[in-house]
Amino acid sequence: MSGIKQNPGLYKIVVTHYVTAAFCFSALSVMMLCSVKAFTGHYFHPQILAITHMAALGWGTMIILGASYQLIPVVLETELYSERLAWISFALFMPGLIALVYSFWVFVPGIHMQCGAILLLLAVVLFTVNVYLTAKKKKQQTIQEDFIFSACICLCLTIALGAALVFNFTLSIFPQDHLHFLKLHAHMGLIGWFLLMLIGVSSKLVPMFLVSSYQSTKLLTYSYYLIVGALLYFLVDSYLFGLSLRTYLIFAIGTAGLTCYFIFILKCLRSRLRKHIDLPMMNSFLSFILLKIATLTVPFIIYFYLRNNPVTIRFSMIYGEFMLMGWITALILGQTFKTLPFIVWVKHYEHLTGKFKTPMPADLFSNNLLKAQTVSYLIFCVTFMPGCYLLFMPLIYVGVAALMITAMLYLSNIFIVLFHKTKTYGKL
Amino acid sequence: MASFDITDPNSFFKEQIIETLRLVMDPELHINIIDLGLVYGIEIDSPKKQIQVQMTLSSSYCPMGESIVSAVKNCIEGHYEGYTTNIDLVLEPVWSYNNISDEGKRLLRI
Repeated sequence: MSGIKQNPGLYKIVVTHYVTAAFCFSALSVMMLCSVKAFTGHYFHPQILAITHMAALGWGTMIILGASYQLIPVVLETELYSERLAWISFALFMPGLIALVYSFWVFVPGIHMQCGAILLLLAVVLFTVNVYLTAKKKKQQTIQEDFIFSACICLCLTIALGAALVFNFTLSIFPQDHLHFLKLHAHMGLIGWFLLMLIGVSSKLVPMFLVSSYQSTKLLTYSYYLIVGALLYFLVDSYLFGLSLRTYLIFAIGTAGLTCYFIFILKCLRSRLRKHIDLPMMNSFLSFILLKIATLTVPFIIYFYLRNNPVTIRFSMIYGEFMLMGWITALILGQTFKTLPFIVWVKHYEHLTGKFKTPMPADLFSNNLLKAQTVSYLIFCVTFMPGCYLLFMPLIYVGVAALMITAMLYLSNIFIVLFHKTKTYGKL
Repeated sequence: MASFDITDPNSFFKEQIIETLRLVMDPELHINIIDLGLVYGIEIDSPKKQIQVQMTLSSSYCPMGESIVSAVKNCIEGHYEGYTTNIDLVLEPVWSYNNISDEGKRLLRI
């Protein structure tokens, strides 16, 4: 039975990651505003590289690391191995992130970029060690553990390859073209890290938040082997031969794995006891739709690439935008208000429950701000992505402005939760 | 599931405790833990002034587990002065949909 206890040390680690990620999200929206024109060009552009790494590391990875310190012990049903390792990892990650993003932005591939990459690599290795030692304490192995640990390995490999690419700018380590490795680096990150980690964690959290009676993990097992199989096949095949007709087959295998996960979510949704779906969960379901759209662009990328048609670059940009700014962002925007209020609520009210009437976790954030945030984020999705595809600047500007508003509303709501004052409504 | 036994001298007290525990809410579902069927049994040792609550959680990895357990303890000890409460958190039988009372189902709009 769950014996996970909230302690002040863990609370500080988790909250620090959430707040840092929220600031990175705001910085990301400002960076996007400053480089609107870059979205109409090639993705191998200094500002796009800086924005992508800010989105993937400062926003997506930062919040996943923070949430992991809280949720991995829950998912793995054991306590976190070491809080000190978590702090050291954060202390390495932040300067690494700043150095890397700044070096990309001004595009000086020298010592700062290299140091940034090494610091990030050390940070994620420490994170992986912490997760491994946490999981080791537990005897029973679950499919969620496989997802999470594989994701951590992929994160380390992604950053290791990224670091090698950074050194390749000045040392010419690889004989092949830089872009050849960029797609391996990107997919190890997007599929290996984000997809596996988010499936692993969400496959425990979604049934829990919906109070679903669906318990079988068979679909998740299929999903795991199909996605990991497709990823490994893609990495080897793409490294040796580049994109080819076989890439369609790999895509089909990966999509089959993703479909198993979607069916799992659908079964949880259908068998849920909690009929009312709140706004944070609605945001999470929106993220699944955006992931589906991102997936649908892949055959077009392959098709145009094989015909040497430059439209493949447009589809690659759209794919990356739907993955990072669509799927991952929507999921974070929603799940933050499922997880953070609980974390803060436990700190304020655990000792008072049963004695006094207290607010519920959902009362800790402003629902109106969350509604406004959801609307502005939807405006971003329906303007920015089409704007980038059509190369229509006014739409891109509207989208980026909507994203900035989303980031401000998100940050404000985070602070409302964090600065919540304990209150009771009389004795029980 | 906690049930009423007329032959048990503590039956009325147990019923009273069950009613008291209706004040403890599941923070996510917003319904009380009795109608949710989380409480499996209550044992009272009157001479020693001890109350033993056997209960479960809606999922074994419930992050609010500690809060619900501490709420049950606080609630009983706050209402019945001098009594100490022990919580026996069990995995078996696993909590399921069938544990929810008719009132709970009505509240959940099932």
